[in-house]
Amino acid sequence: MRYPQLVQGVRARVTSISLIGLLGYLEVVLCVVALCVLIGKKQWADYAALGCFLAVRIFSDVVLTSLNHLAVASRQRAVVLYYPYFYTYWISFAVESILALIVVYSVFKLAMAPLKGLQTLGMLVFKWAAGISIAVALGNTFAPHMTGTGYLVAAISQLQRTQSILTLCLLLFVCFAIRPMGLSFSSRIFGVSLGLGMMATNDLIHSAWLVLYPHQMQTAYNVINGVVICVILSTWTAYFAVPEPKRRIIVLPTTSPFLRWNQISQALGDSPGFVAVGGVPPELFAPAELEVMRRASLKMVTPFPPQSETRLTASRAV
Amino acid sequence: MKVIVRSLVIALAVSGAVATSFANAAPAKATLSAKTSAMPTPTCPPGEPNGCGLGQW
Repeated sequence: MRYPQLVQGVRARVTSISLIGLLGYLEVVLCVVALCVLIGKKQWADYAALGCFLAVRIFSDVVLTSLNHLAVASRQRAVVLYYPYFYTYWISFAVESILALIVVYSVFKLAMAPLKGLQTLGMLVFKWAAGISIAVALGNTFAPHMTGTGYLVAAISQLQRTQSILTLCLLLFVCFAIRPMGLSFSSRIFGVSLGLGMMATNDLIHSAWLVLYPHQMQTAYNVINGVVICVILSTWTAYFAVPEPKRRIIVLPTTSPFLRWNQISQALGDSPGFVAVGGVPPELFAPAELEVMRRASLKMVTPFPPQSETRLTASRAV
Repeated sequence: MKVIVRSLVIALAVSGAVATSFANAAPAKATLSAKTSAMPTPTCPPGEPNGCGLGQW
């Protein structure tokens, strides 16, 4: 091979390697930065699930990158190293999917905080929807002659798809109901939802891409994935770093459906009162209570006139 | 601003819906998903002769 050709080939290979490698390193760095900003701005109490998501992502990325580098160093060990790579990737993916669901739940809870009735009702509906979706996702993956690893991968894929659809629903809700909730597009709630929405859309598109290229570990989509995750992490970092505008006073018209449904939902959650209808022994009451009741009954019940008087009055009237 | 953000969100939701319908229409029994990450996706089952191409990038 001539020198220019050799140099060109090496340069092309180095460029593609370095691009994916650089994106991998950048992802880890941005994850660490986002987590530090989240903790530094004292937002852990509100966004604990997002913090855990970032922590799991940092751990899994470091392990996966190390395994990849070990495999690059010695190709003979690639088969052995593929086992921990496979399980680390899919187990961390499952944990991240569940944590993303919890992030969606916590974002909804924060967004609906001023409308307590709707918040309670929405969280109840969300819990049921998420529970049923997870059960259906796990049940759908059963197929004859399926191996353990095949089931693991299929179940996690279904779970991720469920989580992505729920996330997109939340993003649509937050986007269109942002003003009645006193928020703006600069609010952290919107920023976190936007990042999750971008991730969900990218996951679904990647899932469709994998239908075309099912058994390729490295595809061109890895570069797109790397760019998208860097954009998402930068968005989260920016939203957490910049001071959040205060929530506006929520003024709703009296005819607002939000207000009406909030009142209805608040009434739905009330515990009912109880009335003693019968079989109450007098010993249950205090003497003072009995005295009050006796006096009240004396005032309320007007004594009936004698029977003869009643008959006379009736005949006169006739 | 409001219109731009709303359009972006609707575009994200529509793209997700189209991608889901495309993946569901696939003849494969179970479609795979993958993380939004630069890390390569291990699509082969463990025990592949060449380790699914791990370390070849």
